[in-house]
Amino acid sequence: MKIRTIAFLLILFGTLAVFSLTYAQNAPEASERGKEVYENSCAHCHGIEGRGDGSAAENLLPKPRDFTRGLYKIRSTEAGQLPTDQDLFDIITVGMPGSSMPEWETALSTEERWQVVAYIKTFYEGFKENENPPKQITLEGKISYAEQSVEIGKELYVELGCVECHGNVGRGDGTSAPTLTDSWGFQTWPANLTQGWNYRGGADTEDIFKRFIGGIAGSPMPAFEGDSFLNFGLTAEESKRLIELENRDEMTEAEEEESGKFYEKMDTAVDIALSIKEGAEMSAAEMQTYNDAMKVVYEKSWHLANYVKSLMPEKRPEPAIGNNVLRSQYVQGTLPAIDDAVWETFEAGYFPLVGQVVIEPRQFNPTIDGVHVKSFYSDTEVAFLFVWDDRTHTTGDEIDEATGKPLEDALAVQFPVKVPQGPTAPKPYFLGGGRLPVYLWHWKASTPEQVTELTAKGINNAEAQEAQGELQVQSTYIDGQYKLWVKRALKTEDKKDLQLEPGVFVPIAFSAWDGSNGDVDTKRTMTSWYTFTLEPVPSSRRFVYPPIIAILSVGLLFGLRAFVQRRNTEDV
Amino acid sequence: MKTYLLASFTLLLACCYVGIIGTTFAADPDAGEMEMLVFPENYKPMAVNNGGTISGVVKFEGDKPEMKVLEITKDPKVCGATEKYDESVVVGEDNALKNTIVYLIDITGGKDFDKEAKLEMDQKGCKFTPHVQIVPLETRLTMLNNDRVNHNVHIFSNINTPVNKQQTKNRRRMPLAGVKKAEGPVAVKCDIHGWMSAWIAYVPHPYFAVTNEKGEFTLEDVPAGEYKLGYWHEACGTNSEAPATVTVEAGSTVAQDFTLKLK
Repeated sequence: MKIRTIAFLLILFGTLAVFSLTYAQNAPEASERGKEVYENSCAHCHGIEGRGDGSAAENLLPKPRDFTRGLYKIRSTEAGQLPTDQDLFDIITVGMPGSSMPEWETALSTEERWQVVAYIKTFYEGFKENENPPKQITLEGKISYAEQSVEIGKELYVELGCVECHGNVGRGDGTSAPTLTDSWGFQTWPANLTQGWNYRGGADTEDIFKRFIGGIAGSPMPAFEGDSFLNFGLTAEESKRLIELENRDEMTEAEEEESGKFYEKMDTAVDIALSIKEGAEMSAAEMQTYNDAMKVVYEKSWHLANYVKSLMPEKRPEPAIGNNVLRSQYVQGTLPAIDDAVWETFEAGYFPLVGQVVIEPRQFNPTIDGVHVKSFYSDTEVAFLFVWDDRTHTTGDEIDEATGKPLEDALAVQFPVKVPQGPTAPKPYFLGGGRLPVYLWHWKASTPEQVTELTAKGINNAEAQEAQGELQVQSTYIDGQYKLWVKRALKTEDKKDLQLEPGVFVPIAFSAWDGSNGDVDTKRTMTSWYTFTLEPVPSSRRFVYPPIIAILSVGLLFGLRAFVQRRNTEDV
Repeated sequence: MKTYLLASFTLLLACCYVGIIGTTFAADPDAGEMEMLVFPENYKPMAVNNGGTISGVVKFEGDKPEMKVLEITKDPKVCGATEKYDESVVVGEDNALKNTIVYLIDITGGKDFDKEAKLEMDQKGCKFTPHVQIVPLETRLTMLNNDRVNHNVHIFSNINTPVNKQQTKNRRRMPLAGVKKAEGPVAVKCDIHGWMSAWIAYVPHPYFAVTNEKGEFTLEDVPAGEYKLGYWHEACGTNSEAPATVTVEAGSTVAQDFTLKLK
């Protein structure tokens, strides 16, 4: 029975697959129907003529793809090649995380998606001219994830120059990051490699590998083509040796000769690779040399893919809600400082940020993904550690033209002034309201050792409190990541402050500004209300009461028994 | 779950918002507006005996513009040792305009390329030299890296396959594959050092010249006849719509000067 069902399903899917392929290949017919689907679902962003200039495009970054130049980012094909139909179908189906391109699996049928593929291809002549199917990247010879491979990949990350844009530990904070533009002249940011969930084409090792070999067309990300690959034609050992020699200030004569030989070998391999690209016929021996050299490129790319994979958590952290609410841990005595290793011993609460698009000026293209928060409290004080990634350290040197205010990185933490009592009590209005004001901590990158306390009664109605200086602050910016440490007494004299008590669930919300992304005032990223609590200390009384009750119960039982026995005796 | 709802809500709002505003907008700030060279469909190399010469000077009309000093945002030791200027308009003495391509638009037969000529573009002090490079079809251009920092050679071709190659700090010479289709000029950039800029034209015949500091150009061994003489300049555009007409006589030199102004 089961086998029959499976067979039936296989046949069904097989037929569907054949149908779908036919749709893509029967271009004229399919593309006509695709036109209708495209104009209803895609043209708002990608434009009627596929030039990436739909009515919504202005506010989007990354920009919607312009289909007229044949430059496609996410492909399973080699450098300089067009994508396969399947590549286009897959991107439409799953969307592009971290951009405005949604998944269309729910909104469009399989048939419609194939029709759109056929139609999109009509925007670029190259699809017609190319009779040969694009050359796909082979995934054979995959090197599995292992610590040793990650180590090799880590070295390559520096040697190949990935650090220039993606930064020392991959947070997209390289020194070239702020000036990057795409092939249309629009600003573009390098991927934060530690956030796999924002990878446009998926974050499996295979996906990463394909981006290396094929490049990301139209973006500054180069492809690992043979002829330009570092020390192409040398084995891994030879390449290592050459790098070692070249990094010396001076070489001996013997070393000069040694490196000269390496160069000859490389020149030969590069010449063959270029000739192949130029369409020349190669001898079997030359092809062998080329294939050997490419094998090294592929191996190194797998190592590098494994390293990149090692930079990200296995999956996106769960937002800090439900069972996951932010819990401040109790410690006796002094609270840990910003650099204390004890912060590393437990998971942070994760608060994803989204662009503020309700009030002008809006932020449609947020660059800050979320803020990670940990907290400790003692009998008298509470300390928070806020951690968030920002590709650039912006301290207000530039002025925003529209508002005349400095553009700088910042974080705000928002609490109610009074904790709502009971489950049905209204939370304070989202951004602070007249009746239920909020208590704010506002930190700015230009004054990194200072947090201003404010009371806000609405988004444009915040006032700095008269009494400041209750907060102790430390902060760092290292490798594309801010750490902000804030300490305060649980109870303060100021009536406008929030007073804290263990066991009470307190609403908390965040806003963040990335100055280099034009964030200022309401143009920012934010969260809705979450909850945090000072996790009550498990009482030591739990070791006292249960035994006492047990002893009393047993005693009572014995007393009862004695009483009954005595009465029985009396009765007799 | 709440977060995703909020995210979806945000996206929805975004869509409504842009829907209401509904402005059309041009996708492309620079590319597309750049004017291109005009190439003959079929060019046949042949022996040229007793050809003529076209020479002249290209001048800039108006006050000599001040060259903008580029902001060096990266690798200051290597890139910032000397001041770097925006080379989109380089005007010398007597208003001589450098980096103008002067070429024959409609020639269909003439000399072959000088096969011995070494084609190199240098990256030194984080600047491309020359700023405008003519590259014959099916000919390799070698990129030099004399900087000991990583560069990234990005050629924004539209007709040929775009080039985007990392030239790591120790890679002194990196030849690029020859291309098959005439195109250009196309922009050359280094993504690592965003201010670096140059132009490459892939051309099907050898009658192209780039003006020097004195604004001079020379086209030699031109078969006798009447030709359309075109120019291209990064900031001043082209004369493709109304090119100059020159008549070349065997064994003699004909002069043709141009005066260009900003677009």
